[in-house]
Amino acid sequence: MTKHMDTNSNSWEIGGKTLHSRLLIGSALYPSPANMEDAIKTSGSQIVTVALRRQSAGDKAGGDFWNIIKSLGIEILPNTAGCHSAKEAITTAQMAREVFGTNWIKLEVIGDQYNLQPDPFETVKASEVLIKEGFEVFPYTTDDLVVAKRLADVGCKIIMPWGSMIGSGKGLMNPDNLLAIRKQFPELKLIVDAGIGKPSHATQAMELGYDGVLLNSAIALAHDPVKMADAFRVAVEAGRLGYEAGTMQQREFASPSTPTIGTPFWHQFKD
Amino acid sequence: MIEIILNGKRITIDKEMNVKEVIKELEYTQEGFALALNGTFVAIATYETTMIHDNDSIEILAPVQGG
Repeated sequence: MTKHMDTNSNSWEIGGKTLHSRLLIGSALYPSPANMEDAIKTSGSQIVTVALRRQSAGDKAGGDFWNIIKSLGIEILPNTAGCHSAKEAITTAQMAREVFGTNWIKLEVIGDQYNLQPDPFETVKASEVLIKEGFEVFPYTTDDLVVAKRLADVGCKIIMPWGSMIGSGKGLMNPDNLLAIRKQFPELKLIVDAGIGKPSHATQAMELGYDGVLLNSAIALAHDPVKMADAFRVAVEAGRLGYEAGTMQQREFASPSTPTIGTPFWHQFKD
Repeated sequence: MIEIILNGKRITIDKEMNVKEVIKELEYTQEGFALALNGTFVAIATYETTMIHDNDSIEILAPVQGG
């Protein structure tokens, strides 16, 4: 009888929570709120990212959105998207903690408006302050090993290097860099955040030994976001299973998989 | 009358008042938002003890979709 592995039994811990899914999903860019809700449910994700924006008097749209998210019963990860300095990010994180009732914060401090590359200096500075204030910081950073080291030095237990530019869908630009961070920090929770465009990118990140992937556009901008959410659910599980199973060593030359002993039509001596 | 900046727009209010009074004056009746004054977070617990002065800048933020 074939024994199937129950991937749901493979729980992990992040930010003091024990979860099953290793897919972190965004809540933006979906065709409709109902589609967003269906996609998040189908993805199996247990962490959803949200944001804060200016609100006008009497505007109840934010409340409606928040009610949908709350009804999902999963962990909330507010972001500081749009912040360009440590001070802005710290204030936004403090506001998010009050509104969303969580000490988790996806720290984004943008250093370049064109490619939305994070500002490593301001990100480290904000991380240090927020950790002292009791936040669980999920810092969005590049795949730079030294920046990851600085974030770990100030107390980050979670680091989220980009795969490639936010919303680009280009996948993992520098898998070797990501692998170097993984090997350097086996004790940290590492999430590939940004740039993932298709399920195979997520699988690749998981095969590198990353603890999870965070994505939004790849699902929300698919022709069928709900089906794509299901695809990413499977892709992340497959990548994790592959990592845990241990991939084979690459070889420089071909090596037949079918036994050579008993090969038909083979003669020891030529006529 | 004093001038303040609310979410990037300059407006006028009757007089200097505390944050709780300003929120009522501006008719923010809904719940689930957070406020910053001159770039610094103001917790709900301190609304009544935090005064708004001329040229102060207020940001009022609420939940939205995010990635």
